[in-house]
Amino acid sequence: MPTLELLLGGTSERDLTRLSEYRAIGGYTAIEKARAMTPDALIVEMSTSNLRGRGGAGFPIGRKASLIDRKSGKPKYLVVNADESEPGAFKDRQVLAQAPHRLVEGCLIAAHAIECKDVFIYIRGEYLTEYEILAAAVEEARTAGLFGDVRVTVHRGAGAYICGEETALLDSLEGRRGQPRPRPPFPPVQGLYAAPTQINNVCTIATLPTIVNMGAAEFAKIGSPSSPGTAIFSISGNVVRPGNYELVLGTPMRELIYDHAGGIADGRELKAVVPGGSSVPALTPGQIDVPLDYDSLAALGTFFGAASLIVVDDRCCMVQLALRSTKFYMHESCGKCTPCREGTRWMVQILERIEAGDAELSELDLLDSVGVGILGRSLCALGDFAVYPVHSYLKHWRSEFEAHVHLGRCPFEGGSSIEGIVAPSDLRHDVGVTA
Amino acid sequence: MNAPETVHVRIDEREAQVAKGTGLVETALSAGIEIPVFCYEPRLGAPIGACRMCLVEVEGMPKLQAACTLTAQDGMVVHTARTSQLAAEGQNSTLEFILVNHPLDCPVCDKGGECPLQDLTFRYGPGNTRMSMEKLTLEKPIPISPAISLDRERCILCYRCTRFSESVSEDGQLVAANRGAMSVITTFEDVPYTGAFTGNVTELCPVGALLPTQYRFEGRPWEITNVPTVCGLCPVGCNVHATVREGKVKRILSRNHPEVDEGWICDKGRFGFTHLRSADRIVDPIMRVHRHGFEPVSWDAALDEAERLLRAAKGRIVTVLSGSETVEQTYALAKLLRTGLDSHAAMLPEEVSNALDAYRLPLSAIGGADVVVVLGDVAIEQSAPVVDLWIKAARRKGAKVLYELNESDVRKAERAVLIWSGPGGRGGATVAAHAERLGVAGAFYVPETPNGRGIADAWAAASDEEAGATDSIGLLIVSGDEAAGNPNVRALAERAEAVIATSMFHGLAVGWADLVLPGTSYLERDGTYVNLEGRLQRLRRTASPPGRDELEWIAALAARFDVELSPSPQAVFAELSERIYGGLSFGEVGERAPLRSYEDAPVHVDVPPLPAPEDMGEGLKLVCYKPLFSGPAVERVAELQFQRPQPEVELSQADAKARNIVTGQTVRVGSNGTSVELRARVSKTLRAGVARVAQEHAGGLLGTVEVSA
Repeated sequence: MPTLELLLGGTSERDLTRLSEYRAIGGYTAIEKARAMTPDALIVEMSTSNLRGRGGAGFPIGRKASLIDRKSGKPKYLVVNADESEPGAFKDRQVLAQAPHRLVEGCLIAAHAIECKDVFIYIRGEYLTEYEILAAAVEEARTAGLFGDVRVTVHRGAGAYICGEETALLDSLEGRRGQPRPRPPFPPVQGLYAAPTQINNVCTIATLPTIVNMGAAEFAKIGSPSSPGTAIFSISGNVVRPGNYELVLGTPMRELIYDHAGGIADGRELKAVVPGGSSVPALTPGQIDVPLDYDSLAALGTFFGAASLIVVDDRCCMVQLALRSTKFYMHESCGKCTPCREGTRWMVQILERIEAGDAELSELDLLDSVGVGILGRSLCALGDFAVYPVHSYLKHWRSEFEAHVHLGRCPFEGGSSIEGIVAPSDLRHDVGVTA
Repeated sequence: MNAPETVHVRIDEREAQVAKGTGLVETALSAGIEIPVFCYEPRLGAPIGACRMCLVEVEGMPKLQAACTLTAQDGMVVHTARTSQLAAEGQNSTLEFILVNHPLDCPVCDKGGECPLQDLTFRYGPGNTRMSMEKLTLEKPIPISPAISLDRERCILCYRCTRFSESVSEDGQLVAANRGAMSVITTFEDVPYTGAFTGNVTELCPVGALLPTQYRFEGRPWEITNVPTVCGLCPVGCNVHATVREGKVKRILSRNHPEVDEGWICDKGRFGFTHLRSADRIVDPIMRVHRHGFEPVSWDAALDEAERLLRAAKGRIVTVLSGSETVEQTYALAKLLRTGLDSHAAMLPEEVSNALDAYRLPLSAIGGADVVVVLGDVAIEQSAPVVDLWIKAARRKGAKVLYELNESDVRKAERAVLIWSGPGGRGGATVAAHAERLGVAGAFYVPETPNGRGIADAWAAASDEEAGATDSIGLLIVSGDEAAGNPNVRALAERAEAVIATSMFHGLAVGWADLVLPGTSYLERDGTYVNLEGRLQRLRRTASPPGRDELEWIAALAARFDVELSPSPQAVFAELSERIYGGLSFGEVGERAPLRSYEDAPVHVDVPPLPAPEDMGEGLKLVCYKPLFSGPAVERVAELQFQRPQPEVELSQADAKARNIVTGQTVRVGSNGTSVELRARVSKTLRAGVARVAQEHAGGLLGTVEVSA
């Protein structure tokens, strides 16, 4: 089926990691156009496009850029968040690996808009190959004289999920322990080295060349009026063809799961879809006709998030899935704020008892209540991310939790499978509870 | 400067009016409302919002907010847990989470009874726990240094200690390792936490996690009394509390004087008190007996002997003072000797000049300066450690800190201060002359002794007579251990017909003084000290000395010479205050003493010129300094031995480069045919032409030295 590819366009025909190939399809013409515009005009263009942040929060890029105080006398920084660490998310990875120049060109456009001379791309430490490809592309573009007086630095993270949180990323970039900062002050006012800083996701920035080339007004017509453009959807779990699919926003979720990804494998039943990476509330099979855009997903009480769908079939025990997911967030909790640090560990302890069949019925309420204690009260969103999925599993699949209590064991009797849904638990550090 | 804008905030139906920018916690406090906190501590820099104890509801904001991270805005409407169900639920869950892995071992915890966690758990929170699962257990206690132990189970990860280390002492040694619930406070590679200020983290810790090893299992809050006094171990005079149990000092705590110390004290002041109970403490007078040696004698016999020696000297008495005597003690001794025995000759501990008096400001002015010039060749951290914290605070706020006198920078500054630490300061006259010439309002001089100024003034107050020239010394009086340990004093003793010394410890004066009277510590005296700012401060007796109080036996001895002298420090102060402190009463000195006015001080004081320096020839000028962790008290404190200075020579970057020397290298430092091997350290703040060595590592070096790889 034909799809519109703005981010990955050309990657199946050409090796776009090479500057010459990227130029052959019109690469680095957008930056020339952008530089012919004033920064103000460019920010208006970004606002007109109504491009919303692809990192998860969906904040319009134009508004973000307009918050940068360009008159403060301090340097302005652009930081690209390439620390893609959300379980289920691998969209940025493909852009980095196959269309790095699109990101680099986007960086130069955004830098021009906010009058910034220093761009930092913070890339997930585990993305070694992607780092090498990106670093080579940056070097090639620099050597070709495309940067002008802008410096682009690619910085590798060291393996902490929390460094995908924008303020923790800034602390890490400054050489500190990656832990979130209180907000306000927000990064556009006081970000990297206490200077005005714009932070965007890889896909957001990599969309900018397209917007400049086709014109913001044209771009805004693509897809949902409130969420224009395309997104790369990472789909994983129990589907026939897991992978990345670039689709216009507003495409029904059912189309992605059944048409593009080939539906549920082996004639199994669909049980749940976690639509935005493992940190968001899950949807039930009855909800999958939802259009994949920010507002439609929000209306169902979940999030567009990292445009990453985890599809779960009927072999999976939801308690086991909750436990696995919560262990991840416990392990990745940075330890700065109390609710997330203590609450995630407590949730794991309760979930282990439920899964083992040792829990009493009241512990389901305790689990829910511990989640309430974290939700909205932690320093950053990581605490919420740990709770959202568990609360949704408890809400939609409570009978499954209760069955563990009543039977005194997992009703799947060891036959549950989370294979292909999430990575196996690999907690090498002793965290005081069984890994 | 415009007056700060006033904003109106409504908190729990009460109105608060504060200056814009005031923290919400302080704003609430001004309206009589407590917002409980653990991690929040304004002295540690920007708030971090970590503990979540201060959650409040702010109208117009969707989620609960950490009050500590917000500042008062006009029209803000805030509901604390008192009036907001949501905030109360947030606070309850925070406290429940904090206690989920806390061992609740209050009955055996030294912090119990004076623990913010205990107090806030009592006042707030759900009152019971729903945690029935296994708590996290960790190895404990861990000595993060010989002076401080860490219980990681009790730690609630408020990051106060790591922020102190990063943003106040700037030593960067305490860090958090690991993540999430397994986060622990540690030093890098588990090396001991070393530095001048480490002990402050034991007071910042809001739980029983970081505790001074000296105080472990030593007292419970209902058995102790915290006596307000000032530290007498350096010229800063930090305000402290001495924790006393059953007549013994068990611990020293800071007592925030915002103009002097801001609540920080150094490790010497905090941990040095155990010298009081040193095994070699002299408790009875010791007398030379029939050439047979030295024997303890009764106080009556000792005072008889003192009287005999005083009379026998026939006025040919020389008195050497240590610099740690109180104003009252000095005055009493001076009155006895000068009016009773017409003996005016004294070796005062150091040169004192009143030239500085027109330029006196509180130490906190350094923290608010825009240019700080540090002159002299002894590092401030060694000579007056808390002053170094004020300099660091100024630098963090953007002040320029210079180690050479750049006059144009000083003239351009709005609030410049000058500081002198080291030889050549001439009692403050040198730096005062710079201040006068450059139009600078604030100048500081770091004396070598804790009460040099007070002693000089008190000695002078007792009589107007001048000391006549004496060619022989009938009696040498050596007051205190610093004087007794001074080789020059020892040489003087060789020339004296007799020697009386007061000394706290065996081994300093015993063996060469004919009569040794037990000395006392600043923690055992009542009286006053004058610190480096010129601030008169009150010392209180926190523990009884093992022997008689000095003032008391000086008064008893004075009576034998018909000199009227009260044994009460209050009466002695009243007498001398008429002469030098404008009749200020003892009670008015105050617990948080103000910097008295030096309004009448002359802007210019003539100082006799120094003789032209001798041509020192080639080489580097040797500066020997008394390190912070040295001296008779420190030598007797086990917990401070690891802090003793390294055998090092410090060189300027230029001198090091010229000699191809790098930090860590072993070098030979020589002068006049003698030499020592020391490790080199290249200092960013030392001026060229100087080699700096701690006194105890200088061997026989003198004058000019050559340093070679």
